[in-house]
Amino acid sequence: MELDDLKTIWKSSEGFRPKNEAELTRMLQGHSKSIIYKLKRNVWFEMIFTLLSGAMLLAYTLTLPSGALKWVAMSILIVFSIYTLYYAKKLVLLSTFEIGAENIKTNLEKLIRNLTGYLRFYKRSYTILYPLYFILSLILIAIEQGASGFIDNISKPKTILVLFTLAAVFYFCCTWLVDWLLKRLYGNHLDKMKALLNDIDPSAEIELR
Amino acid sequence: MIEDEQKFITLIKEHQALIHKVCTMYEHDADVRNDLFQEIVLQLWKSFHSFRGEAKITTWMYRIALNTAISGFRKQSRNIKTEDIRQKHFNISDTPNHNEREDDFLRLQWAIRQLPEIERAMIMMALEEVPYDEIADTIGITQNNVRVRMNRIREKIKKLMLT
Repeated sequence: MELDDLKTIWKSSEGFRPKNEAELTRMLQGHSKSIIYKLKRNVWFEMIFTLLSGAMLLAYTLTLPSGALKWVAMSILIVFSIYTLYYAKKLVLLSTFEIGAENIKTNLEKLIRNLTGYLRFYKRSYTILYPLYFILSLILIAIEQGASGFIDNISKPKTILVLFTLAAVFYFCCTWLVDWLLKRLYGNHLDKMKALLNDIDPSAEIELR
Repeated sequence: MIEDEQKFITLIKEHQALIHKVCTMYEHDADVRNDLFQEIVLQLWKSFHSFRGEAKITTWMYRIALNTAISGFRKQSRNIKTEDIRQKHFNISDTPNHNEREDDFLRLQWAIRQLPEIERAMIMMALEEVPYDEIADTIGITQNNVRVRMNRIREKIKKLMLT
């Protein structure tokens, strides 16, 4: 069976119900279900959540007297501002992304980079920022209590055990939850895209690792 | 804007067989297929303003339709029943008014659906008489690679259609 035979078979049927003008017009009013649209929606949600939390935290910070708590709150506000900038940059990038502007291979590479960058950002945030904040809080408490008082408190075995347990539980819960959520949201799609890219060009996938 | 929309809808009406074929090759669930059709139309509409007519209209449509079907579209998490497409199609051939030509078409359609997604895109374009250089451009590989892979795909389809 040659390609021409297959072409003859292929052209023998046009069995579909054509969409009329009204149906097509309705389709243009619908919402996209593309991966880019979903990413954009999630980034918008996160940005609004960060901005609202930031506004509330700012209002609370202004009522605080100078001290450790105020410094912690202010440093969280700085982190929130960095996050907001990141989200804004991501939204600009996603808005300019056109799914059909490139060939399938380049499109896959771009999508994989976009998704990988997004997932990496979250993983880094949770694996670096939380332990950092834990240590920062301890330092600020030490400043608040005075070095000798703090050393007295922290050198008690019970306090060490409580702090260690808290840090471990908090860290593992956060990283596990983030890993699970990201895998559920984008992991399968990312794996599928990597496999597709590998099918087109095995060397391209290696470059992206 | 309204004029653009009208122009776009006329274009889609004229070439909707292409979108239907891509949807049929990538989704067998009717509801998901309809969602994919809408997604392709939306993506085409989004790119319509930047289409300057440098490429053939069908090449542009294939590029967007295939990109959407292959990597851009995420199915809703509805319970999709896994059906044996082959069995479903071949059962149709038992109906009295079903002809041999249609049976061959369904057999070919089934065979294409068994191929990996990239190969599916390549054979679809080849069957639609898209030249190899345009297939190479759409996928992002060399023409030589298209030629080699097309031979392999043809062999696979031949085997699948004979089973």
